Amino acid sequence: MARQQPIELFMPPNMLKAKVGGGLGGVDMAAMKRAEGALETLKSEFADWITDDVKVLMAARARYAQTPDAASRGALMRAAHDIKGQAATFNFPLIARVAGSLSRLIGELPDSQTVSLNLVDGHVNAIQVIHRQGIQDTNDKMAQTLCAELDARVEETLKSKK
Amino acid sequence: MSGYRFDRLKVLVVDDNAHMRKLVTTIMQAFCVLHIFEADCGQKAWTSLRETNPDVLVLDWVMEGMSGIELVQKIRTDPQTPNPFVPVIMLTGHTHIDQVRQARDAGANECIAKPVSVKTMMSRLVSVIEHPRPFVRTSVYFGPCRRRRGVDEYRGPERRAESKQQAAE
Repeated sequence: MARQQPIELFMPPNMLKAKVGGGLGGVDMAAMKRAEGALETLKSEFADWITDDVKVLMAARARYAQTPDAASRGALMRAAHDIKGQAATFNFPLIARVAGSLSRLIGELPDSQTVSLNLVDGHVNAIQVIHRQGIQDTNDKMAQTLCAELDARVEETLKSKK
Repeated sequence: MSGYRFDRLKVLVVDDNAHMRKLVTTIMQAFCVLHIFEADCGQKAWTSLRETNPDVLVLDWVMEGMSGIELVQKIRTDPQTPNPFVPVIMLTGHTHIDQVRQARDAGANECIAKPVSVKTMMSRLVSVIEHPRPFVRTSVYFGPCRRRRGVDEYRGPERRAESKQQAAE
Protein backbone atom coordinates (compact mmCIF):
# COMPACT_ATOMS: atom_id res chain seq x y z
CA MET A 1 0.00 0.00 0.00
CA ALA A 2 1.30 3.45 -0.88
CA ARG A 3 2.49 5.44 2.08
CA GLN A 4 0.14 8.34 2.78
CA GLN A 5 1.27 11.91 3.21
CA PRO A 6 1.58 12.65 6.95
CA ILE A 7 -1.06 14.85 8.50
CA GLU A 8 0.32 17.75 10.46
CA LEU A 9 -1.92 19.17 13.17
CA PHE A 10 -0.83 22.20 15.12
CA MET A 11 -2.24 25.11 17.08
CA PRO A 12 -1.04 28.54 15.89
CA PRO A 13 -0.51 31.10 18.69
CA ASN A 14 -3.76 32.86 19.52
CA MET A 15 -2.71 36.38 18.55
CA LEU A 16 -6.29 37.55 18.50
CA LYS A 17 -6.86 36.68 22.14
CA ALA A 18 -3.57 38.32 23.07
CA LYS A 19 -4.69 41.46 21.27
CA VAL A 20 -8.27 41.86 22.47
CA GLY A 21 -7.95 40.26 25.88
CA GLY A 22 -10.23 37.87 27.69
CA GLY A 23 -13.95 37.96 27.99
CA LEU A 24 -14.05 38.01 31.76
CA GLY A 25 -16.98 40.41 31.73
CA GLY A 26 -18.82 38.20 29.23
CA VAL A 27 -20.48 39.65 26.17
CA ASP A 28 -20.92 43.42 26.29
CA MET A 29 -24.69 43.76 26.40
CA ALA A 30 -24.47 47.51 25.82
CA ALA A 31 -22.62 46.87 22.54
CA MET A 32 -25.26 44.35 21.53
CA LYS A 33 -28.00 46.87 22.26
CA ARG A 34 -26.13 49.55 20.38
CA ALA A 35 -25.78 47.26 17.37
CA GLU A 36 -29.46 46.29 17.47
CA GLY A 37 -30.34 49.98 17.53
CA ALA A 38 -28.04 50.73 14.61
CA LEU A 39 -29.55 47.86 12.63
CA GLU A 40 -33.02 49.20 13.37
CA THR A 41 -31.96 52.59 12.00
CA LEU A 42 -30.60 50.93 8.86
CA LYS A 43 -34.02 49.36 8.28
CA SER A 44 -35.30 52.80 7.27
CA GLU A 45 -32.75 52.72 4.42
CA PHE A 46 -33.89 49.32 3.24
CA ALA A 47 -36.53 50.85 0.93
CA ASP A 48 -33.77 52.64 -0.99
CA TRP A 49 -31.53 49.61 -0.90
CA ILE A 50 -34.14 47.26 -2.33
CA THR A 51 -34.96 49.81 -5.04
CA ASP A 52 -31.26 49.93 -5.96
CA ASP A 53 -30.95 46.17 -5.88
CA VAL A 54 -34.04 45.64 -8.04
CA LYS A 55 -32.43 48.02 -10.56
CA VAL A 56 -29.30 45.86 -10.47
CA LEU A 57 -31.48 42.78 -10.97
CA MET A 58 -33.26 44.41 -13.92
CA ALA A 59 -29.93 45.41 -15.47
CA ALA A 60 -28.66 41.85 -15.02
CA ARG A 61 -31.88 40.56 -16.62
CA ALA A 62 -31.41 42.90 -19.61
CA ARG A 63 -27.79 41.81 -19.97
CA TYR A 64 -28.80 38.16 -19.83
CA ALA A 65 -31.57 38.74 -22.42
CA GLN A 66 -28.99 40.28 -24.74
CA THR A 67 -26.19 37.77 -24.14
CA PRO A 68 -27.24 34.64 -22.30
CA ASP A 69 -23.76 33.46 -21.31
CA ALA A 70 -22.17 32.28 -18.07
CA ALA A 71 -21.10 35.81 -17.05
CA SER A 72 -24.54 37.37 -17.46
CA ARG A 73 -26.16 34.40 -15.78
CA GLY A 74 -23.74 34.76 -12.88
CA ALA A 75 -24.64 38.45 -12.54
CA LEU A 76 -28.34 37.55 -12.49
CA MET A 77 -27.68 34.94 -9.83
CA ARG A 78 -25.67 37.35 -7.65
CA ALA A 79 -28.35 40.04 -7.89
CA ALA A 80 -31.08 37.62 -6.78
CA HIS A 81 -28.83 36.25 -4.05
CA ASP A 82 -28.08 39.73 -2.66
CA ILE A 83 -31.77 40.60 -2.46
CA LYS A 84 -32.47 37.32 -0.71
CA GLY A 85 -29.88 37.98 1.99
CA GLN A 86 -30.84 41.58 2.61
CA ALA A 87 -34.58 41.03 2.61
CA ALA A 88 -34.21 38.28 5.17
CA THR A 89 -32.02 40.49 7.35
CA PHE A 90 -34.45 43.39 7.20
CA ASN A 91 -37.47 41.26 7.88
CA PHE A 92 -39.06 41.02 4.47
CA PRO A 93 -39.39 37.23 4.45
CA LEU A 94 -41.60 37.09 1.37
CA ILE A 95 -39.17 39.11 -0.73
CA ALA A 96 -36.43 36.79 0.54
CA ARG A 97 -38.55 33.81 -0.50
CA VAL A 98 -39.14 35.12 -4.02
CA ALA A 99 -35.47 36.09 -4.46
CA GLY A 100 -34.53 32.66 -3.08
CA SER A 101 -36.82 31.00 -5.61
CA LEU A 102 -35.13 32.94 -8.42
CA SER A 103 -31.66 32.01 -7.13
CA ARG A 104 -32.77 28.39 -7.02
CA LEU A 105 -34.03 28.53 -10.59
CA ILE A 106 -30.77 30.01 -11.88
CA GLY A 107 -28.54 27.89 -9.66
CA GLU A 108 -30.18 24.51 -10.20
CA LEU A 109 -31.07 24.75 -13.87
CA PRO A 110 -28.34 22.96 -15.83
CA ASP A 111 -25.86 25.39 -17.43
CA SER A 112 -26.84 24.12 -20.86
CA GLN A 113 -30.42 25.34 -20.32
CA THR A 114 -31.48 28.96 -20.77
CA VAL A 115 -33.27 30.62 -17.89
CA SER A 116 -36.79 31.64 -18.91
CA LEU A 117 -37.00 35.43 -19.04
CA ASN A 118 -40.74 35.26 -18.37
CA LEU A 119 -40.07 33.46 -15.16
CA VAL A 120 -37.34 35.95 -14.22
CA ASP A 121 -39.80 38.78 -14.89
CA GLY A 122 -42.42 37.05 -12.76
CA HIS A 123 -40.00 37.06 -9.83
CA VAL A 124 -38.89 40.66 -10.37
CA ASN A 125 -42.51 41.84 -10.54
CA ALA A 126 -43.40 39.90 -7.40
CA ILE A 127 -40.49 41.47 -5.50
CA GLN A 128 -41.61 44.93 -6.61
CA VAL A 129 -45.25 44.33 -5.65
CA ILE A 130 -44.40 42.93 -2.22
CA HIS A 131 -42.04 45.79 -1.57
CA ARG A 132 -44.45 48.48 -2.81
CA GLN A 133 -47.20 47.10 -0.59
CA GLY A 134 -44.76 46.82 2.33
CA ILE A 135 -45.83 43.23 2.99
CA GLN A 136 -43.85 41.72 5.85
CA ASP A 137 -46.52 39.35 7.11
CA THR A 138 -45.90 35.84 5.83
CA ASN A 139 -49.63 35.10 6.16
CA ASP A 140 -50.62 37.72 3.61
CA LYS A 141 -52.94 35.84 1.23
CA MET A 142 -52.06 37.68 -1.98
CA ALA A 143 -48.31 37.41 -1.42
CA GLN A 144 -48.61 33.77 -0.40
CA THR A 145 -50.47 32.95 -3.59
CA LEU A 146 -47.85 34.78 -5.63
CA CYS A 147 -44.98 32.96 -3.91
CA ALA A 148 -46.68 29.57 -4.21
CA GLU A 149 -47.28 30.15 -7.92
CA LEU A 150 -43.64 31.09 -8.53
CA ASP A 151 -42.40 28.14 -6.46
CA ALA A 152 -44.59 25.80 -8.52
CA ARG A 153 -43.39 27.28 -11.83
CA VAL A 154 -39.76 26.93 -10.76
CA GLU A 155 -40.32 23.37 -9.58
CA GLU A 156 -42.03 22.51 -12.86
CA THR A 157 -39.24 24.09 -14.92
CA LEU A 158 -36.50 22.33 -12.99
CA LYS A 159 -38.26 18.98 -13.25
CA SER A 160 -38.81 19.26 -16.98
CA LYS A 161 -35.30 20.50 -17.79
CA LYS A 162 -33.28 18.15 -15.58
CA MET B 1 -18.81 45.78 30.35
CA SER B 2 -17.07 43.23 28.15
CA GLY B 3 -13.49 42.17 28.75
CA TYR B 4 -12.82 42.33 25.00
CA ARG B 5 -10.95 45.29 23.56
CA PHE B 6 -12.63 45.25 20.16
CA ASP B 7 -11.26 48.74 19.62
CA ARG B 8 -7.90 47.08 19.01
CA LEU B 9 -9.26 44.85 16.26
CA LYS B 10 -8.68 45.36 12.56
CA VAL B 11 -11.51 43.90 10.50
CA LEU B 12 -11.67 43.57 6.72
CA VAL B 13 -15.20 43.38 5.30
CA VAL B 14 -15.38 41.92 1.80
CA ASP B 15 -18.63 42.03 -0.15
CA ASP B 16 -19.44 43.21 -3.65
CA ASN B 17 -22.75 44.57 -2.41
CA ALA B 18 -22.30 48.01 -0.84
CA HIS B 19 -25.42 47.62 1.30
CA MET B 20 -24.20 44.40 2.87
CA ARG B 21 -20.82 46.02 3.58
CA LYS B 22 -22.60 48.88 5.28
CA LEU B 23 -24.66 46.45 7.34
CA VAL B 24 -21.63 44.52 8.59
CA THR B 25 -19.62 47.72 9.13
CA THR B 26 -22.46 49.25 11.16
CA ILE B 27 -22.60 46.22 13.44
CA MET B 28 -18.81 46.22 13.85
CA GLN B 29 -18.77 49.94 14.69
CA ALA B 30 -21.44 49.36 17.32
CA PHE B 31 -19.15 46.67 18.78
CA CYS B 32 -16.51 49.44 19.05
CA VAL B 33 -14.30 48.07 16.26
CA LEU B 34 -12.42 51.18 15.15
CA HIS B 35 -10.31 49.87 12.29
CA ILE B 36 -12.62 48.60 9.58
CA PHE B 37 -11.43 48.19 6.00
CA GLU B 38 -13.68 47.41 3.08
CA ALA B 39 -13.19 45.70 -0.25
CA ASP B 40 -15.78 45.16 -2.97
CA CYS B 41 -14.09 42.21 -4.67
CA GLY B 42 -11.70 39.37 -3.98
CA GLN B 43 -8.80 40.98 -5.80
CA LYS B 44 -9.05 44.24 -3.82
CA ALA B 45 -9.44 42.21 -0.63
CA TRP B 46 -6.19 40.41 -1.43
CA THR B 47 -4.43 43.75 -1.87
CA SER B 48 -5.99 45.16 1.29
CA LEU B 49 -5.03 42.04 3.21
CA ARG B 50 -1.40 42.60 2.32
CA GLU B 51 -1.55 46.34 3.12
CA THR B 52 -3.59 46.32 6.32
CA ASN B 53 -2.94 42.87 7.81
CA PRO B 54 -6.40 42.55 9.41
CA ASP B 55 -7.10 40.40 12.47
CA VAL B 56 -10.41 39.07 11.15
CA LEU B 57 -12.06 38.84 7.74
CA VAL B 58 -15.82 38.95 7.21
CA LEU B 59 -16.26 37.66 3.72
CA ASP B 60 -19.17 37.15 1.36
CA TRP B 61 -19.31 33.90 -0.57
CA VAL B 62 -20.96 35.02 -3.80
CA MET B 63 -18.94 37.73 -5.55
CA GLU B 64 -18.11 38.56 -9.12
CA GLY B 65 -14.63 37.44 -10.18
CA MET B 66 -12.85 35.79 -7.27
CA SER B 67 -15.49 34.24 -5.01
CA GLY B 68 -15.25 34.15 -1.22
CA ILE B 69 -14.35 30.47 -1.40
CA GLU B 70 -11.50 31.15 -3.83
CA LEU B 71 -10.21 34.00 -1.69
CA VAL B 72 -10.11 31.85 1.46
CA GLN B 73 -8.21 29.15 -0.42
CA LYS B 74 -5.75 31.78 -1.65
CA ILE B 75 -5.31 33.21 1.85
CA ARG B 76 -4.59 29.75 3.26
CA THR B 77 -2.28 28.43 0.57
CA ASP B 78 -0.75 31.19 -1.58
CA PRO B 79 2.98 31.60 -0.87
CA GLN B 80 2.45 35.39 -0.95
CA THR B 81 -0.19 35.34 1.76
CA PRO B 82 0.53 37.77 4.59
CA ASN B 83 -1.22 35.61 7.18
CA PRO B 84 -2.46 32.10 6.37
CA PHE B 85 -4.00 31.78 9.86
CA VAL B 86 -6.20 34.88 9.74
CA PRO B 87 -9.69 33.97 11.00
CA VAL B 88 -12.32 34.09 8.26
CA ILE B 89 -16.02 34.44 8.96
CA MET B 90 -17.91 33.54 5.80
CA LEU B 91 -21.26 35.19 5.09
CA THR B 92 -23.57 33.12 2.98
CA GLY B 93 -27.10 33.07 1.71
CA HIS B 94 -26.67 29.33 1.20
CA THR B 95 -28.02 27.30 4.06
CA HIS B 96 -27.76 23.82 2.65
CA ILE B 97 -25.40 21.64 4.68
CA ASP B 98 -23.33 20.73 1.60
CA GLN B 99 -22.66 24.41 0.96
CA VAL B 100 -21.69 25.06 4.57
CA ARG B 101 -19.31 22.08 4.26
CA GLN B 102 -17.87 23.61 1.11
CA ALA B 103 -17.05 26.84 2.99
CA ARG B 104 -15.49 24.83 5.79
CA ASP B 105 -13.49 22.75 3.32
CA ALA B 106 -12.12 25.90 1.71
CA GLY B 107 -10.70 26.97 5.07
CA ALA B 108 -13.31 29.31 6.59
CA ASN B 109 -13.30 29.32 10.39
CA GLU B 110 -16.95 30.21 10.87
CA CYS B 111 -20.06 30.64 8.75
CA ILE B 112 -22.95 33.04 9.10
CA ALA B 113 -26.05 32.16 7.12
CA LYS B 114 -28.05 35.24 6.15
CA PRO B 115 -30.12 36.82 7.63
CA VAL B 116 -27.29 38.50 9.50
CA SER B 117 -28.11 39.17 13.14
CA VAL B 118 -26.21 41.05 15.81
CA LYS B 119 -26.28 38.04 18.09
CA THR B 120 -24.78 35.70 15.48
CA MET B 121 -22.11 38.21 14.49
CA MET B 122 -21.02 38.64 18.12
CA SER B 123 -21.10 34.90 18.71
CA ARG B 124 -18.88 34.15 15.67
CA LEU B 125 -16.47 36.93 16.64
CA VAL B 126 -16.17 35.60 20.18
CA SER B 127 -15.81 32.10 18.79
CA VAL B 128 -12.74 32.94 16.66
CA ILE B 129 -11.17 34.64 19.70
CA GLU B 130 -12.00 32.08 22.36
CA HIS B 131 -12.16 28.82 20.44
CA PRO B 132 -9.62 28.92 17.63
CA ARG B 133 -9.39 25.62 15.82
CA PRO B 134 -6.08 23.87 15.34
CA PHE B 135 -4.67 23.96 11.82
CA VAL B 136 -4.23 20.95 9.62
CA ARG B 137 -1.78 20.45 6.80
CA THR B 138 -2.33 17.50 4.46
CA SER B 139 -1.45 16.91 0.84
CA VAL B 140 -4.79 18.36 -0.24
CA TYR B 141 -5.78 20.80 2.48
CA PHE B 142 -4.36 23.52 4.66
CA GLY B 143 -6.59 25.41 7.06
CA PRO B 144 -8.53 25.16 10.31
CA CYS B 145 -9.28 21.61 11.42
CA ARG B 146 -12.57 20.64 9.82
CA ARG B 147 -13.67 18.35 12.59
CA ARG B 148 -16.19 19.77 14.96
CA ARG B 149 -14.94 20.80 18.37
CA GLY B 150 -16.01 19.21 21.62
CA VAL B 151 -15.21 15.56 20.96
CA ASP B 152 -13.41 15.41 24.29
CA GLU B 153 -16.47 16.86 25.97
CA TYR B 154 -18.41 13.62 25.45
CA ARG B 155 -19.91 12.55 28.75
CA GLY B 156 -21.78 9.43 27.72
CA PRO B 157 -20.86 5.82 28.39
CA GLU B 158 -17.53 4.66 26.94
CA ARG B 159 -18.14 2.12 24.19
CA ARG B 160 -14.76 1.80 22.52
CA ALA B 161 -13.04 -1.39 23.66
CA GLU B 162 -9.60 0.23 23.79
CA SER B 163 -10.78 3.06 26.01
CA LYS B 164 -12.73 0.70 28.23
CA GLN B 165 -9.57 -1.26 28.85
CA GLN B 166 -7.61 1.92 29.61
CA ALA B 167 -10.30 3.04 32.01
CA ALA B 168 -10.19 -0.30 33.78
CA GLU B 169 -6.42 -0.01 34.17
